[in-house]
Amino acid sequence: MSIMQYNGGSVIAMVGKDCVAIASDLRLGNQALGISSNFQKIFSVTDRIYLGLPGLATDVTTLRELFRYRVNMYTIKEEREIQPETFAHLVSSTLYEHRFGPYFIEPVMAGLSKTPSGSFKPFIAATDLIGCLNFAKDFVVAGTASEKLYGVAEGLWESDLEPEDLFETISQTMLNAVDRDAYSGWGVVVHVITKDKVVTRTLKGRMD
Amino acid sequence: MNSFANRFSTTDHLRELKRAQANIEDDEFSDAAWGSEAGFGSLAKGVPTFSVPAVPDPSAFLRLHTDDHADPKCRIKIQHGTTTLAFRYKGGVIVAVDSRATAGSYVASGTVKKVIEINPYLLGTMAGGAADCQYWETYLGIHCRLHELRNRERISVSAASKYLSNLVYSYKGMGLSMGTMICGWDKTGPAIFYVDSDGTRLKGDLFSVGSGSTFAYGVLDQGYRWDLPDEEAQELGRRSIYAAGHRDAFSGNTCNLYHVKEDGWHFIGNYDISKLHYDGPDNVDGAGYGYDVRVGTRS
Amino acid sequence: MPDMVSIGQPQQRQFNPYSENGGTILAIAGANFSVIAGDTRQSEGYNIQTRYAPKVFRLTDKAVLAVNGFAADGSMFVKKVKQRLEWYRHAHAKDMPLRAIARLIQTMLYSRRFFPYYVYNILGGIEEDGSGAVYSFDPVGSYERESCRAAGAAQSLVQPFLDNQIYFKNQRPPPGTSNPTHLPLHEVLSLVIDSFTSATERHIEVGDGLEIFVVLAKGSTTQGLENFANVQEMTQTREGERMFNIRRNLKRD
Repeated sequence: MSIMQYNGGSVIAMVGKDCVAIASDLRLGNQALGISSNFQKIFSVTDRIYLGLPGLATDVTTLRELFRYRVNMYTIKEEREIQPETFAHLVSSTLYEHRFGPYFIEPVMAGLSKTPSGSFKPFIAATDLIGCLNFAKDFVVAGTASEKLYGVAEGLWESDLEPEDLFETISQTMLNAVDRDAYSGWGVVVHVITKDKVVTRTLKGRMD
Repeated sequence: MNSFANRFSTTDHLRELKRAQANIEDDEFSDAAWGSEAGFGSLAKGVPTFSVPAVPDPSAFLRLHTDDHADPKCRIKIQHGTTTLAFRYKGGVIVAVDSRATAGSYVASGTVKKVIEINPYLLGTMAGGAADCQYWETYLGIHCRLHELRNRERISVSAASKYLSNLVYSYKGMGLSMGTMICGWDKTGPAIFYVDSDGTRLKGDLFSVGSGSTFAYGVLDQGYRWDLPDEEAQELGRRSIYAAGHRDAFSGNTCNLYHVKEDGWHFIGNYDISKLHYDGPDNVDGAGYGYDVRVGTRS
Repeated sequence: MPDMVSIGQPQQRQFNPYSENGGTILAIAGANFSVIAGDTRQSEGYNIQTRYAPKVFRLTDKAVLAVNGFAADGSMFVKKVKQRLEWYRHAHAKDMPLRAIARLIQTMLYSRRFFPYYVYNILGGIEEDGSGAVYSFDPVGSYERESCRAAGAAQSLVQPFLDNQIYFKNQRPPPGTSNPTHLPLHEVLSLVIDSFTSATERHIEVGDGLEIFVVLAKGSTTQGLENFANVQEMTQTREGERMFNIRRNLKRD
């Protein structure tokens, strides 16, 4: 049994038309035993950046606090909000600091980045547990159900989805992928990020 | 050479392997294989024959390639993870099982039939190796029928379970994996026997087998009485499987419920465990067994 | 110069007759048809051994067997199943019914319980009552009738997609309607093609070619099959069931 599967959990992020979505399951387990059905793995970094941390639960909490600290320090020093691209590199370098004793987390991030013209551009990225960045243009996945998420997302996703359609796509992808994974599930939470608001919905998933 | 006496004259599996090996060199198929031999096929010799690899320790070979607990990278995955239960009470026997099969973390199937209908009076449950349970309990069914034809009466649950127990014991150490409950109604009334591939055979009133059995026992023990009414007994079985399906990652999907009465077994129903969580057995919106229902808005 | 001291050391050898040759197979049953498909890439590790190695085989006019896992065991197993079916034909002057083939495969797989064929089988075809059927097996013979199953390297990518699109899992039908229990042939075929293009995109062991078998029940129409390119009829007897083969290309990278 890998340490990455000890607590279970999965995250996915998708790009839409002028919007992004990020979703995770809500299970916290101790191997086969389900402990909590309300374990948040997705955290807001700024109003337009969300970070998902699937992996070992103790590191979820630790990294969440560590990133909060580092983003706050950035904001104070730079006197401006961090951009998704910058944040992705912050995540990457933070993880690589622990190259030979890593945090057991594979972060997934989604956000909207400001362009020079003042509009917003969708941004998603994921890294492995030592910080190798993957800037995908369609979707990124991580966690115990990652293979299943890849399969369904590859079948359902299309480019330039409007926020409501993106919500439907990411929800169906997540729900159906976690139903084929023993260590993920017990409810799903979805965040859809658009330029003027973030819509968060909790879905009724299978509870077995 | 493959008479029944010979078959049970030894429990030494090395001799069993040699016999099997001799059979391969002999001929892999009997003449029966040419036709259908009334459906018996490979069983026509009296006992099934098995191919064995030509290595000094065949069971170590098998373990190397099939046991996914020892080595996650081994290639042939045997399906694990289950919750099954059966209990005896005034009104007969309740048998309830889940329907999930997992290979590692992948849910390979959510529609497995873990109750094997041996004949109209006997049920067997499935935990451990799916193929082992399916094959040997079907084989048991053939011999229960032969017993009926020879003795003009139905086989007792005790005799049937002992037949299976002796059979799997003769393969002890060779890697069979099954934990089964043989349930039925005979001259002595309702009966349950727990039989596993180690050779254990236990008579009892209440058993639960599999990775989710601890969760099922929890519900079962606090709700069990000998004089339960039929409705409540069925509900107890269903509720116990739900508890296991909910908490255990390797159990879930649906619950199959059977009731054995004097006139044989009856299939009560197939219940989606997630529907039981939200809506309950009567499918009333929000009236499920779920957490929210029990704690209300306090969480 | 070899190290002469090490020659006296004990050495251990292991008997490993198994390999893994990648690829994915898939079967879907409709109301009166059955679709059985597989990619044609055969690989070992990162090497492609061939870009065309069929994994799906016609057994009778109403039964098709797809095998995945270790290719050598697979082809030997198919050979032996075909042999047993021919013997049955000689003894009974008819083809073995599908449910009987399923049980035959169980006993054949289980007869190697202690030296398993490293093969995942999916049997598809038409049942005696005219309904489409799919039977899936594990390597030692446990089996189940289903209406949709993916197996092999990309099973975990394809199966949840099929749960969603075939069984309509997690999809609530619009009020007053219900989700269909069976899909029409043309929809099933496009789902099969989508599944394999998706799997090809994300799994290195899947690709090169796609081979689809379609079995139609007695008296059913071709249901839009003629609109597909590269359709070839393979029916060999006049029993009534018809069998077709469709070949398509998948990405070769």
